[in-house]
Amino acid sequence: MAVFDPNDFEISELGPKVKDVEDAGDLEEVLEREKEGKNRDAVKTLVQSRIDKLHDEDEDAIDYTELDPSEHTVAEMANLVRDVDDADALRGMLEREEAGEDRSTAKDRIQSRLDQLESSDDDGEEEEYVPPEEKYPDLDHPTADKQYVHGVDDGEYRDMWVYCETQQGELVDVSLEMLGKARQLMDDYNDQYDEEELVVAVLMGDDVEGHAEDCIAYGADLVVVHEDERMARFQHKAYSEVFCDVARGDGHPYGREDRSERDWHEYEEPRYVLFPATNNGRDLSAQVQAELDSGLASDCSGLYIEDTVISNPAKTGGEGKRQFERVLHMKRPDFSGFEYSTILCLDKPHRDFHPQGGSVIPGSFEIPEADAEREGEVVHSDLDAPDEWFRVDVQDYDTLEEGIDLTGYEVVIALGRGIGDDPTKGIELGLELRDAFEDAELGLSRGVITSSYSFDGHVEQYIGEDRQIGESGQVVEPDVYIAAGISGAIQHKVGMDESDVIIAINTEPDADIRDFSDYYVQGDLFEVLPRLTEAVESGELRLEEIAAGDD
Amino acid sequence: MTDDREHYEAVVVGCGPGGAAAAAVLADNGVETLVLERGTEAGSKNVSGGLIYAEESAPYTIDDLYPGFREQASERPITEYHIHNVAGNKVKSYDITDLHDHDTEWSDAVLRRKMDSWLERRVHERTRETGGGVVTGVHVDGLIQEDGEVKGVTCEELDPIEADLVVAADGVNSELAREANLMDWEEPEEWFQGVKAVVDLPEGAVEDRFGIGADEGAAHLFSGDLFEGVRGGGFVYTNEDTLSVGTVFHLDSLVAEEAEPHELLDALLTHPMLAEYFDGEYDELEYSAKLVPDSKKVAHTSPHRGRLVLVGDAAGQMQAQGPIIKGMNHAVTAGALAAEAFVESRARKSRKAEPTAGELYERKLHEEGVMGKLRPKRYEVAAALGERDAVTNLTDRVLESPVGRFGIKAADSLGIIESAYSSPFMSMLMPDTKTPYVTLPTVIGEALGDRVTGENTIEPPALDDRIGDLTYDVGDPHIELLDESYAASGAAVSACPVSAQDFGGGCYRSETVKTNGHEERVVSLDTQPCVECGTCAVVADTDWNHPAGNKGVEYKQG
Repeated sequence: MAVFDPNDFEISELGPKVKDVEDAGDLEEVLEREKEGKNRDAVKTLVQSRIDKLHDEDEDAIDYTELDPSEHTVAEMANLVRDVDDADALRGMLEREEAGEDRSTAKDRIQSRLDQLESSDDDGEEEEYVPPEEKYPDLDHPTADKQYVHGVDDGEYRDMWVYCETQQGELVDVSLEMLGKARQLMDDYNDQYDEEELVVAVLMGDDVEGHAEDCIAYGADLVVVHEDERMARFQHKAYSEVFCDVARGDGHPYGREDRSERDWHEYEEPRYVLFPATNNGRDLSAQVQAELDSGLASDCSGLYIEDTVISNPAKTGGEGKRQFERVLHMKRPDFSGFEYSTILCLDKPHRDFHPQGGSVIPGSFEIPEADAEREGEVVHSDLDAPDEWFRVDVQDYDTLEEGIDLTGYEVVIALGRGIGDDPTKGIELGLELRDAFEDAELGLSRGVITSSYSFDGHVEQYIGEDRQIGESGQVVEPDVYIAAGISGAIQHKVGMDESDVIIAINTEPDADIRDFSDYYVQGDLFEVLPRLTEAVESGELRLEEIAAGDD
Repeated sequence: MTDDREHYEAVVVGCGPGGAAAAAVLADNGVETLVLERGTEAGSKNVSGGLIYAEESAPYTIDDLYPGFREQASERPITEYHIHNVAGNKVKSYDITDLHDHDTEWSDAVLRRKMDSWLERRVHERTRETGGGVVTGVHVDGLIQEDGEVKGVTCEELDPIEADLVVAADGVNSELAREANLMDWEEPEEWFQGVKAVVDLPEGAVEDRFGIGADEGAAHLFSGDLFEGVRGGGFVYTNEDTLSVGTVFHLDSLVAEEAEPHELLDALLTHPMLAEYFDGEYDELEYSAKLVPDSKKVAHTSPHRGRLVLVGDAAGQMQAQGPIIKGMNHAVTAGALAAEAFVESRARKSRKAEPTAGELYERKLHEEGVMGKLRPKRYEVAAALGERDAVTNLTDRVLESPVGRFGIKAADSLGIIESAYSSPFMSMLMPDTKTPYVTLPTVIGEALGDRVTGENTIEPPALDDRIGDLTYDVGDPHIELLDESYAASGAAVSACPVSAQDFGGGCYRSETVKTNGHEERVVSLDTQPCVECGTCAVVADTDWNHPAGNKGVEYKQG
């Protein structure tokens, strides 16, 4: 039934019919009938191409042991050998090629197929892992130049390391916050996995050892101290090199050779590591985690440790789902805090991603209660940092103006828009009164700060948001608060109404401030302030008397 | 990094009635819709006088789109409508309920915090189905424009977001409309400014004092000589257990008279006519203010550019024509029509280059009669004649003359005045002069009014207390004063509803600065008390932006 008369069909119908025929002989018959009949060129081409295809398939089935390489181009050979699974047939081919045309390119093709077969024979079913750089040496590997990246495969990891940053000789709060969180995480961890892993604090810098006790009191079991007077200020190169040096275990493949043995670091790298998400902490964290060939979850605000099941083949090696144990889950705000993502740092086959690490946004966790009784060990790094790590020299530095802190003074003199007639004079009078007291400072209402008053140069330094008292400024509670030319809007009131004694000077008898003042002087501050100053200076008016008057 | 941008089919900016209506129609047609609202909750930034209408002639109403609206989001249905012509303490009142009922299916008093926050929850439910939703606390501060084309929006809090449709329902001070050069803040005569007090009444007092039932509400309008000659009027609307008492004035008139908006409001609040509403007790819950576009002049006849469409106040769609004061209903219709246009243009796209969504929207605004209401033809004719000073002065003199007063009396006895007030045609052609706002009502009040005998003893709070109650976190200053000279920006000192002459606690303050021997009068700006009304954007020289999301004023009533 396979032979049909093509003359009965339109060419569009013949395509599917011809395709179904498997016997080249039948098709030859069909071709003949067409030639005798309508003799359409398109039909003849269609049938002939099917015949050729069937012949090709036949040829594919040929016996490779007898294949003559000289009948094929090198490109054809390359395609042909790919289908050959018989090493002996390939060897035969190779011999015939050598005896015949002896083309080196053709021999390469046959030989490489032969190698492929033999290597896969060697390790049984599983293919040996070859790093991509070695497997495909001809390709461009942007990551091949990993001169700073020294990864570990299937290493041993322990402990949670916390970089405790110091600034101007003080431990910054976020260091304590991280220690508290690390303590809590590792206590739970040790319970859950029946381990005895530690919280390790790292202190680096000049004269930082004094903080070791604090680190222990706030949660560390072990404090690693690296003292170096050249590290008084943060420097990227030195700090990251030192951190990596102490973080690597004694037997670390990329560690220092001349290291003296440390009984507290018998593993390759930390299991977990936390950095503060401060300017310096971010700088350090990125370099350290890259150097240790791991990842980094930057700016985290939440942390927990849990097992998790992952199906991503890049991480499982294609084995379907796999359970990862003891995974540090690092939550970080995205979209400016509208969404959160949880970052995991997971090993993958043939490449470990440890330490699992992140940087922590200051203020994310509470500073724990200090426990002076806690016990811990302090150890020292033996590294002698080479001079070349200190190529950067800090020539000069400045501290940003933090402004004045008005809290804690016995007397605060606050000036408002009542000074508007002569703002400079007003400030001068305020300063004179301030100087008449032993412990007084000058504050301002928001109205003065947002005004367009022009002040003379010598008082300009006193006009700034740092002196603002009220809702959007400072809240003060001095023994005596003198409000001159301030009407007492609610926004101002919340910044001062806890003061012990409030004295208001105002031209308006119905100014709001009168309602919450202990003394009210109706008058122009330009007249009242100088008289008040004089009274204080002459001893006529004494602070204790004013304060006593409140009773 | 175009590829990395978030993309939604539609982004709606602002979750007021216009945005909510657009979102409803988009979501119902399966359009992935993201709604961005800068308040902590929708309504926290919104103020209106307080009546929302459902017009019989309108293709969409808010309760069609959001069933349950009247039961859950509004206050009282307005069942009676009065206008009072005031001259001193003589008042002549007319019942204009017929005008109110014209083309009205229903009309409810609303407070915007309650109303818009209710809408927001429904909008979120509806748009979430499409893969979108409402995100609050996001200040959309600009457009993504590439090669002159609008591609999406930029936000202060989020990364830029692309969209096939951007609905600017961001209110009267729409930053998007201005960035697209569709609207400006140049001419004070194109705007009204309204200020409002929400006043608490004891339970049951609304019914007793207004003589209405539990399911009834009243609206009262006031005009005449109680506002120092400033063109505009006042209103009292009844809510469940509170009153909305407000005054609305032409901004150019406020500026010309250097009037203080809060004092004009107080003039109404303390008028003897209102004594019976308060009964000697006055408990102000909230002071608020808002700029109102005058649709006759600024309703954009082609409110779209590329993917951007403007709806509601953002497009100037606020009909304030004499006693006809309708805005929210037009925003609802416009929002829904814009959404409809987008859905249609998207469906047609496969066939050939059809009109864009914006062009379809513009066509629908005309075909559905919205534009005809916002910009009545009759007004344009009347304005050509009626707003000339000479004509105004002449009419005013005639009206004030004995002859004119005789005419008024005669007209009243024939019922002509009441029917004229009740005529929507009359209202729509009222020119913006003193004649209808001040002169005529004053003459009517004097000639025909009865003396009000009640004594109003209430004391509204002073401005600093009103501001104090609105204390909030403004963040960084959002308005920059570009020219601090009094000539350029001094008008804001009076016109700003939270500033006043000789008041140091407001936004704008007049100051005299001495430099090198000569004195100069300047203004200074503190944005902390700002209620974001936009007045200073028109009357002063500023760079005006809204504060960041969640920052700035937060209205509890609205």
